[in-house]
Amino acid sequence: MEHPLVFWAVVTWMILWGMIGGIVTPRIFLRKDMDISSAPLAGALIGAASGPFGLLPLWRLAPKSTTRWIAVATAGSVLLLATAFAISDPDNLCVDSGSFVASLIANGLVMGTIYGLMALGLTLIFSILRVVNFAHGEFYMIGGMVVYFFTAVWFPGAPVVLAILAACLVTLAIGAAFERLFLTPMYDGRVERPIEYAILVSFGLAFFLQYLVQALAGASPVKAQRFFPFPRLRLPTSEDPWVLKTSAANLTLFDTISISNPRFVAAVISIITLIALLWFLYRTWTGKALRAVSQDRQAAAVAGIDPDRMNMLAFALGGMLAGLSGATLVQAFSWVPQVGMLPALRSFVIVVLGGLGSLPGAFLGGLIVGLVEAAGTGCIPDPSRAASYIPAYGMIILTLTLLLKPTGFFGRKE
Amino acid sequence: MQPRLRKLASVLLGITASAVIFGAPHGALAANCPIKLGGIAPLSAPGSVTGGEAQREAIKIAVEEINAKGGVLGCKIELVIGDTEGLPEKGTALFEKLISQDNVVAIAGGYHSSVGMAAKEVAHDKGIPVIFASTWNDQITSSKLPEVFRVAPLSSEASAIYWKFIAKIPNVKNVAIVTENTDYGIPAAEEAKKGLESINMSATTYAVDIGNQDFASIVLRVKAQKPDAILTLLTGEASLNFEQQAAENGMGPGDVPFICDIIAAESNSFWKNVPDGNYCFVGQFGLPEALYNDAAKAFAKKYKERTGKDSVESYAVEAYDAIGVLATAIEKAGSTDPKAIIAALESVEHNGALGKVSFPYGTSKDPSAEGKDAKWWHQYLDPALMIFQYQEVNQKAGDAPIVFPDSYKTGEAVFVNK
Repeated sequence: MEHPLVFWAVVTWMILWGMIGGIVTPRIFLRKDMDISSAPLAGALIGAASGPFGLLPLWRLAPKSTTRWIAVATAGSVLLLATAFAISDPDNLCVDSGSFVASLIANGLVMGTIYGLMALGLTLIFSILRVVNFAHGEFYMIGGMVVYFFTAVWFPGAPVVLAILAACLVTLAIGAAFERLFLTPMYDGRVERPIEYAILVSFGLAFFLQYLVQALAGASPVKAQRFFPFPRLRLPTSEDPWVLKTSAANLTLFDTISISNPRFVAAVISIITLIALLWFLYRTWTGKALRAVSQDRQAAAVAGIDPDRMNMLAFALGGMLAGLSGATLVQAFSWVPQVGMLPALRSFVIVVLGGLGSLPGAFLGGLIVGLVEAAGTGCIPDPSRAASYIPAYGMIILTLTLLLKPTGFFGRKE
Repeated sequence: MQPRLRKLASVLLGITASAVIFGAPHGALAANCPIKLGGIAPLSAPGSVTGGEAQREAIKIAVEEINAKGGVLGCKIELVIGDTEGLPEKGTALFEKLISQDNVVAIAGGYHSSVGMAAKEVAHDKGIPVIFASTWNDQITSSKLPEVFRVAPLSSEASAIYWKFIAKIPNVKNVAIVTENTDYGIPAAEEAKKGLESINMSATTYAVDIGNQDFASIVLRVKAQKPDAILTLLTGEASLNFEQQAAENGMGPGDVPFICDIIAAESNSFWKNVPDGNYCFVGQFGLPEALYNDAAKAFAKKYKERTGKDSVESYAVEAYDAIGVLATAIEKAGSTDPKAIIAALESVEHNGALGKVSFPYGTSKDPSAEGKDAKWWHQYLDPALMIFQYQEVNQKAGDAPIVFPDSYKTGEAVFVNK
């Protein structure tokens, strides 16, 4: 960095006024008998974005902390941080190379879509069962393993779609079986402390699945072949393909944005799955029943919905979504029995960010985490440190979310 | 017998029995059968499992061979294998367990430098000899601990082979080094960078945590740097992930001179995980198959039969010889006393698959006496260092030509940037 003092001075200013805004705003709102659920977040963001110039009018006028204000304040904070960064490090790739930033954003969004799908499964389980599934990473791993073995060992040459369906069925079955066998004692009072029990038993499932797969399949890295290699395209002309250029493994848009084939295909499958899931949840009776149970179990039971059956469906579906994420990514990453640990950790960050129990929150959280990881790794000046901090980016987001809005962006207040 | 004599006989018998049972400190008897040896390797993530499993098989073959020939000091060897997971804290705990609970008389193996760096202190505290098979960090031996020996190459020497090779690649001024944030990766990158700068090349180092999967942003940064060559100092699955993701973004071995991690020598796993890895250069440590001695040929045959692989990785050969050297040293010492084994190791000459393995510098001849750096303490001097290149898709490592240095060369390199 050329002028690190500028950057760190701005960061310090933002943290200081963010803290002041986060602490003082809820007290002022409380005194004015206003809803304070979003006051710390709004105060912190407005303080970070505009310092006292924004906070004083906020305290005086005390408008309702609407999503619009929070979005504006977030945008303002990001803009301020980006400007400070640009001034401090003008030679940074993120400052002087638009194509680099475009590629980072594209890759961040692509990965964020896939992360979001996996996190959706976790939040679905929580919204219905009120249980955090600590074996979520293992469902992800099993989904990938099933696809690999299906396409490379058991039925080489079989259509990939069948392999993905097999992965979905296997993870669905494991999820359903686990719920019936180990989680039902929580509902009928056989367990004294159901929440702690659920945590422990899902940890147990995680270790069991991980080491079972290691014992059966070994621990050597495996990988599925690309599902759908790109056809060779050159647009508008082969001599000057400035709009779109593809090879089997990569596509380049506008000579700027480079996206690898496996991730692109995985993201497309994730979006299709998301649309199917939304259709299921909002257009089918079963989906509406699931949503009803997540809103109010007892009211749903009164309306004739069996909450226990919805529990099984939710856990199975949640595990299946993780398995599907793994099934799409086994062509992108080398797969080992421990491959699910990092994505599981990321899923926890995403669901806290988006709000436990919120499906749109999980997806939006996935996009945000994908973008932050891409931006952090791409923009941190020291290349020998940038990638090492990847786990930290998620933890910083988690910490800020827990401090400022513990229920997450779209979480319901319990 | 008279009561007094009977009493004297019982006392003498009791004293003798006590001396036998309690008087012998750990391993001091000439032959306390079976002789337990510890074998260490990374057998689960985030360690390099491909490397660890290769070492485990090699160690098992070595022990089986020794036992088939009658064992050591008339005793069979009992092998106790442990998983380091590639983590220093696990390695340290493993050493504690092997020494204190399993009562091994010596330990061999090891893949990750971070494990070696931490665990050597346990070996030193307990006075148990260890031969590190594939841990490269110079400080493992430069700390001059009496118990620590190594057959693996030194990181500085291995880095030298890389940058000296890069010097031969035409049109290279700017190199990207992608390494891991470990006791192996950081020093190796520093040594490579220093070497490259000494020949007027610039180098940028990108470091990631061990076990990293997603390299998209790193690949984009490397691509933006427009390097003339890429050197991968990552290990394990992370290296495979990086190599393939770089290839998918037009920065792979088919686009720019690319040195892959040594794990690429396991060709089955390499082509499965890096299908776009053709033209990758790979470090080979130990003689190529064409130059194998009889011991190496015999080991290679057994290893390939057992594992189904087409070639033998260098870290497997190193692990195999590490056990062999220990057995030879114990036989030479005539005892399983750790101090006796250490003394024997300092003067041992073992005809192994690597060649004639010995440790010329130690207590009797300090490296400084011949103007050598402390890193040569208890260090095997001659791990043959060379580079081969895959020149056909799905090529077996044994069929790939050695392209550097000239003394081992079997074919010409293909430089994709020419």
